Parts: sequence; C-alpha cells; structure tokens
Amino acid sequence: MVILEAFVFATVLLGFFGIIFKHNLMMKIIAMDVMSTGVIAYYVLVSARGGLVTPIVLDQGRTTYADPVPQAVILTAIVIGFSIQALMLVGVMKLARNYPTLETREIEQETQL
Amino acid sequence: MTAALMTTKAMATTTILWMALPLFLGFSGYLVPKLGRLFALAVSIISLGYGLGRMLEPSSVLNWQFLDSFGVTLRVDSLSGYFIVTNAVVTAAVVLYCWRQGKNAFFYAQTTLLHGSVNAVFICADFISLYVALEVIGIAAFLLIAYPRTDRSIWVGLRYLFVSNTAMLFYLIGAVLVYQANHSFAFMGLQDAPTEAMALIFLGLLTKGGLFVSGLWLPLTHGESETPVSALLSGVVVKAGVFPLVRCGLMMESVATVLSMFAVGATLLGVTYAILERDTKRMLAASTLSQMGFVLVTPAAAGLYALTHGLAKAALFLSVGNLPSRKFQVLRQGKLPLAMWVALAIPSLSMAGLPLLAGFGAKAQTLSYLSGWQQVVMSGAAVGTAIAFSKLLFLPTKLGWPKLKAPGLWWALLPLLSGLLLANSLYGDAYTTKNLLKALATIGGGWLIYGLMSWCIAQNFTKQLQLANVRLPATFERLENLIGMMSLILSLLLGMTLA
Repeated sequence: MVILEAFVFATVLLGFFGIIFKHNLMMKIIAMDVMSTGVIAYYVLVSARGGLVTPIVLDQGRTTYADPVPQAVILTAIVIGFSIQALMLVGVMKLARNYPTLETREIEQETQL
Repeated sequence: MTAALMTTKAMATTTILWMALPLFLGFSGYLVPKLGRLFALAVSIISLGYGLGRMLEPSSVLNWQFLDSFGVTLRVDSLSGYFIVTNAVVTAAVVLYCWRQGKNAFFYAQTTLLHGSVNAVFICADFISLYVALEVIGIAAFLLIAYPRTDRSIWVGLRYLFVSNTAMLFYLIGAVLVYQANHSFAFMGLQDAPTEAMALIFLGLLTKGGLFVSGLWLPLTHGESETPVSALLSGVVVKAGVFPLVRCGLMMESVATVLSMFAVGATLLGVTYAILERDTKRMLAASTLSQMGFVLVTPAAAGLYALTHGLAKAALFLSVGNLPSRKFQVLRQGKLPLAMWVALAIPSLSMAGLPLLAGFGAKAQTLSYLSGWQQVVMSGAAVGTAIAFSKLLFLPTKLGWPKLKAPGLWWALLPLLSGLLLANSLYGDAYTTKNLLKALATIGGGWLIYGLMSWCIAQNFTKQLQLANVRLPATFERLENLIGMMSLILSLLLGMTLA
C-alpha cells in the first residue's frame, strides 16, 4: 500500500513538473492530465483502504467493502476535469492558427504580456 | 416549536429554488436568446432580495445537511447574505452596462451561470460542493474572458484555466485527506485532518482568491479582460476563493492565525503593485490583490468589507473602461469631464475610507478587531491604498459630460454608487472621533505622499536617483513561474501549519 501511495504521488509530481518545464502548450495540457490521473488514483487508493469488494448489498453478510463515497466524488471530478481539458484544447486549436509552434514563451511575447 | 420548524423548512425550500434558478434560466437563455439579458437581470434582482433578507436578519441561520454525513452541507447566515448582495448588485450593474452593447445570448447565459455558481459558493459548507462550484466558476469565467475571441483574450483565459485547475488538483488531494480523517467532507473536519490537508486546501483557495504571491495571475487577467468582465471578476469572482477561507477562519481559531499572516502579506504585496502600476486597469486589479487581504485579515468583519469593495471596484472598472486611454501618463495630459471625475472619485474615496462612504465603516470595523503589529501594518497599507487611488483622484478635470463608449454606464453606476452610500449605515459604531480622525489622517497622509512623489518626479530628482524607471518585474507573471510559485506556497503553508 505504501509503495502504491508513493507511485501515486510520483505521478502527481511528474505531472506538476511537466506543467512547469514543458514549453509546448499541448504538452502542458497533457502534463496536467497526468497530474489529474494521479489525483484520481489517490482517491481510488483511499477508498480501497478498508477493503476491495464492490459495495453491493448481498445475502452473504458483511465483507470488507471499498468505500463508495470517494469513488462517487472523484467521478464528478473526472467529468469536470475532462470538460476543462476539452475547453483548453479548443482554445489551443484557435491559437494554433497564428502560433503553429504553440511555444508558451512565444505567445507570451507576441501578445505583449 | 413546530412554527420554527416550518419556517426552517420554508427557508430551505426557498434556498434551493433560489440556487437552482440561475442555472435553469441561464440555460433557458440559449433557447430564447432575446430574453437572455432580461433573465440575467431578473436573477440578480431575485438574489438581491434573498441576500438582503439574510443580511439583515443575523439570527436566522440555516444549517442543512442532505443525507447523512456524506451528503452536501449548506450553511446560510448573515455572512453569506453580505456576499450574495455583493454578487447581486455587481451582476445587475454589469448587465445594465451591457444592455445596449449588442452582446449575444451566450454572454448573458454565461453571466447568469457565473452568478449562480458564485452564489453556490457562498452557501456551501463542504469541500466537494465547493470544488464543483469553483470549477463551474472557472469555466464560466474562462468563457467570458475569451468572449472577444482574439488571440490575446484566449491566451489570458487559458492562462487563468491553467493556474486555477492546477491549484484545484492540489485542493482535491487535500479534500480526500479530510474525508479520510472524518468520513465527511464538511468544513469542520479540517480540524481533525492531518496538517497536509490544510496546506493543500488552502493552496487551492489562496490561488483562486488571488491572495499573496499565488494571486499574481490576477493583475493581468483582470486588467486585460473586457470592461464588464473585469468588473465581474474583480467585484465578485475572486471573493468566491476568499469566502471559504473566511468561513474556515470563523469556525477554527488555529486556522485564523495562519490565514491572517497570508492576508497581511497579500495586502502589502498588492499595495506595492498598485502604487507602482502605470496602467489604470492594472492598478485596479493590483488593488484587488491587496483588498482581498483586508477581507481575510478579520473574518468577523469580512462581509461588510467584501460588500463595499465589490461595489466600489465594479464601479471603478466600469468607469475606467470609458476613459480615453488606459495609461495614467496620457490621462494626465488631457482633461477629464467633471461628471466622469465624480464617477471615479466616489468609489475611489470609498476605497480610501472617506467618512460618509461605506468604505469608512468597513475599514474601521476591520481594523478594530486587529491588535498590535497587525493593526500598524494594515493601517500603513490603508495609507498605501490612499496613495494608489490619488492617481485617479488628482487627474485634471474640466466642466462637462463625457462621450461614453457604453451609454449604459450611468445606469450601471446608479445601483453601485447608491449601494456605497446606503451601506454606510450598516456599521454606525464606526463614527467615533478617533476613527474619524484616523481616516482623515490616513487619506491626508496618502495625498501628501502622493504629492511629494509627483513633485519629485516633476523636479527630476528621481532621474538622479535612477528611480524613474522603477518597473514591476514581469517575470513573476509568466505562466511557468505562476505555477512554480504554488510549490513554494505549499512548502510555506506546510511549514506554518507544522510549526
């Protein structure tokens, strides 16, 4: 479990550093996706702390269920994350017409920011 | 007993209906494009009624939990009331400002949805509802920023989404840590959660609320957006990030001390930026950075301060959008029509805390809760605010009426400025000799320093000292640095919570 947690945090950090160090706008968006994958994995990990069985009520009595609440919550977050990603990609498509390389530094200079 | 239960139930129903209405009408705006602006105005007027009801009735507090501890938690009290009224008046003013500008249904639909989601932030009391509301705000704000669809506006919007989404990912990790400790996402759980949870959640909220260095995305975003969008963003949207922090600060003593440190830092940083800024809109945005510090530093007085700041800042952004230039240097060479000057002067003086305007009461109330060094530093920051707004106040004027880019400006200023006058009566205790003298000394001191600064520049002293070209470093505002700054703030927060 500890190793799994370490891997999850490694994913989050790799995504985070990707957002900072990648120069290409497209790569930044993909890095953000990696980061959010890490966060989603962490929610799944937390809900699996108490057990791994799917939480469905059966006659056999109690077993160790996985906690459904974090899973339900992260489902909302996945949907939101994916819609934001889609929105950003549309923005990038528009920008790509005038800035085909999509280098952030170039865009920042050209728009005089 | 039953009567009380009945009223609670009636209030809960009203709250749900009021919360759902903007979402319903916002999407209906797409179906009936001609009614879009009417819907937006109607929604804000209804919110004004609801908000005033909550604001003026401090005894009626609604604490509501759906399902058991896992469900959505709501809390509506007079603090929410103040923020809701701010949101309502600013949205109404922006809609009136845009009334005849030919904005399409899309614009009004996004405004309505933004209004609804900001309202949702002001009444929720658990971390997941808050997350959803903040993300909806992010999307609606992006669409409004990118509304002109120029490369520049799209880039400003994308930059905003990048910063806010990365911050919210950290926030989500914090939220699940709270859940793990309490089996509930309610705000109260923050007490028993591990300290990392607090650091991660606060990182997200500080970034969204434009506080301290994590708020450096704000001057550019608010400065480069269209006039009405700037007014919305600076008037209410940043408060959606600050409100949950205020709520947590009121609930938990230990949290409040950490937050007040950040608030003082944010105020000083913002004031420095505002004084040095040479562009009107960027100066206003930088001042928002500092004013959010004022809102957060005393959670108990946050409601009134947020209200007065929201009204004044929206009025300023709308008026400044109608000036012939954005640069102070160009404006000093021309002459400002008197009517325009009055429209700028009333909110500017309220920001500086002149008696008879609402800003005076808000500032007095905020400072009255502070003690020791914090009061000294914040009073100093108040002088800084007076200096920054002298730049607008002492522009040369002439008699006459201005030619407006947007004829709706006067209609928009009507609710904002009358709100500033009316809100003055909300904290009558402020009118003591001590407070009056202090406010006048603050403003006088600010004007004196501004006069000295202008005189030095006129005499070319600054050239000899090589101060004429003091410019703010733009590197801090680059996207990579804004995101990188988050890791610094996170370690700072961790250090403070562990200490």
